[in-house]
Amino acid sequence: MYKEISFQSIFSLRAGGALPRRGKDDVRTLISNAEVSTILSKLITTLFIAFFGFAVFLPLMAGTSSSYPTRELTAVGSVSTFLAVVLFLISFMGLQVSTSFVSSKAIDVLTPLSLSKSDISHIVFLCFIRIFDIPLAASAMVLLLAYYFIGGSFLGGLAAFAGIIVTEAFALMLTVGLARFFYSRVAGGGGKSRWKTLLRFVFMLVWILPSFGIYFVVNFAGQIAQSFTSLTQGVSSILQLLVLIYPFSYGYLVSFATFSFQASYLTVALSVAACSGYFALAAYCVKWVTRTVGRIGAGGISTALREVVKDTAVSPQAPWLGTIRKDLRIASRSPSYASLFLLPAIEAAVLAMSFSSFNEVGLSSTLGLLTGMSVVVLMLPPTLVSIEGLAASYTRSLPLKKKTLISAKTLLSTLTYAISLVVLFVVALYVGRSYFYILTFGAIHLFSVAAATMLELIILTNKFWKEGFAIGNIYARLSTYILIIIPGLAVVMIPIIAALATFLLAQSLTLAVFLGLAVTEFAVATAYVALEK
Amino acid sequence: MQEVAVQVEGLVVNYGPFVAVDNLSFTVNSGEIYGLLGPNGAGKTSTLKVLVGVLEARARKIEVFNTPISQEVAAKSQIGYVPEEVVLLDSLTPREFLEFIASIRKLEASAANSRLEKLVSAFELKQFFDTPIAALSMGNKQKVAIIAALLHEPRLLVLDEPLIGLDARSSKILKELVTFHAKRGGAVIFSTHIMEVAEKLCDRVGIINKGKIVGEGTVNELRKLVKSAEGSLEDIFLKVTEQEAGMQDVIRALEEEEKQP
Repeated sequence: MYKEISFQSIFSLRAGGALPRRGKDDVRTLISNAEVSTILSKLITTLFIAFFGFAVFLPLMAGTSSSYPTRELTAVGSVSTFLAVVLFLISFMGLQVSTSFVSSKAIDVLTPLSLSKSDISHIVFLCFIRIFDIPLAASAMVLLLAYYFIGGSFLGGLAAFAGIIVTEAFALMLTVGLARFFYSRVAGGGGKSRWKTLLRFVFMLVWILPSFGIYFVVNFAGQIAQSFTSLTQGVSSILQLLVLIYPFSYGYLVSFATFSFQASYLTVALSVAACSGYFALAAYCVKWVTRTVGRIGAGGISTALREVVKDTAVSPQAPWLGTIRKDLRIASRSPSYASLFLLPAIEAAVLAMSFSSFNEVGLSSTLGLLTGMSVVVLMLPPTLVSIEGLAASYTRSLPLKKKTLISAKTLLSTLTYAISLVVLFVVALYVGRSYFYILTFGAIHLFSVAAATMLELIILTNKFWKEGFAIGNIYARLSTYILIIIPGLAVVMIPIIAALATFLLAQSLTLAVFLGLAVTEFAVATAYVALEK
Repeated sequence: MQEVAVQVEGLVVNYGPFVAVDNLSFTVNSGEIYGLLGPNGAGKTSTLKVLVGVLEARARKIEVFNTPISQEVAAKSQIGYVPEEVVLLDSLTPREFLEFIASIRKLEASAANSRLEKLVSAFELKQFFDTPIAALSMGNKQKVAIIAALLHEPRLLVLDEPLIGLDARSSKILKELVTFHAKRGGAVIFSTHIMEVAEKLCDRVGIINKGKIVGEGTVNELRKLVKSAEGSLEDIFLKVTEQEAGMQDVIRALEEEEKQP
């Protein structure tokens, strides 16, 4: 059961759909890829947790914060930070698998078997726990090990253990709740109104942005812990309020039990009371998760109430526009696809934050930024080709010209790149840096990016047209997926490398060379696409 | 004289070393409902997939209303296809999916909407029109696929097990639509395992076994082929596909097992 759920989560198969009967090797490769991906995902979460634990507890372990109030408050900050981040990491990194779990039809196979409802609930619950087995165990081990190296007490160790159990219970509840909410409101609920479309977009942002936040959290682990510690020091006057708030209540409790914290009995009592309250809440969370997961196994999740359909009107458009609209609609209902669309813009925002450390945004910085953004955009074409999933063979029966398909998906990819440029430009404007190179070279580079995506799509459509764009074909041959990006990368890099070389040899010709090469690439790619049937 | 709607000559479909369709040839005329029958794995679906352009294969000739299928867009524009396994764009609603189909087929909004209203009403799909396809029952998904196939009033209908999951009312409507389509000069290739339906609906039948046509013609012509004056299409089918011989032994063996305590 667990393997099936993992498999479905990797390939976003919602109906336990049939894979192509032919190509046994492809199917076997898919299955082993799914198993590897599931384990990798868990190991990555675990590594993040371990790394974060190390970064956060290092000052204490190294004894660098040895004097009051620094040592005691550092312990509060470290424990609180660790618990908060574990909550965040486990909830959001398990979200995709949890959503597949909630929507999975794999559980249906259990119901006709000679198993009681209670047995089915237990099996389903164990499957669910298996999704998080390694991260849950690792979180507890990291905290207890770090506490051991700090040289803490038995009582403090108990408090730390209670804190991590509570955190894990909260994380499981959060992930099941979000997954259920997402499935019933976004993926499972339809709706034609603009309001529903906007709501889906908002849900998708809520879904995706924390996933990027995970990488921020890990990159800025030390700074986050420092902020928590500063907060505890800064609000000592309202200490009694802070001890009531999770995760600070556990941070304080661990610190009290370890360092015989200099605080009033009232403060200690409040901390103990708050932790006991959270522990009781965690017990309720575990009960809720068990019940909900069991209910999922028994009867699935009901989707949003159907709105009354007033008419059956449709608004057909030109084939290329219809294709773009279809791709955007599919992406808006799948976090993994939507995140790939958002990734270039988010990457641009992240890279642009480095502008504040530059005196000016010169040519080499601009070209470096454009390279980074291009690489991310080049991942879109294979994804756009596989976006139809198993329905690709049905789509092949439609009178859709290859060049229409290529044009539509090129436009979509290039638009994503253009949006990233706008983000880059806005940030440059905001931090008061020169935006000349971003505007000129960035705008010209659009031609190169368009040419690169056209090249990738030409290769993909010619290679896979005969076999159909079944999602399995691309993921079963990951090397093909990566190999296709290489020619695209070569195309975007040619003008960039030529511009840099020209800048060194004959500066005044840089823009002309860059423009000439980008436009030539675009013209050649467009001409080739025009020849496709 | 009837126009030739579909002409297939020397079709070969391989899946690696396995030959699914072995030098198959058949013709379908306009105004005709042609039934394609065969046991599981006989090559029916592979044949239909080649015809609608989903699979590539070798053949001397495959034409749809005198358009070679190598002219993909021109050929596919004339075909309405309902696949055996209805795997559609699950995250879309029927409205969004049919809007996409109408866009690809370059239909005018007014014509598309007028036809859509009638079809959705006929198949009682209106209440599910804004529900994601993933949340629909198999029968309702089948209805979406059928509407998508009929929306552009194709000249050729290729229906691979279209009655699976349909309720009685929708089944009847589809059969009536298919009959009406043929009377208006269209052509239909209809694959089914339900022999009674094939016998009543189809003008001619082609029986495939192990990738080859083993019998073709009207039901009366097939009776002459197997030298059976009154046999049903089911009996003819079992005789022609050589499944009748061991069948009685299998049934007897199962009955013996049932009788055992």
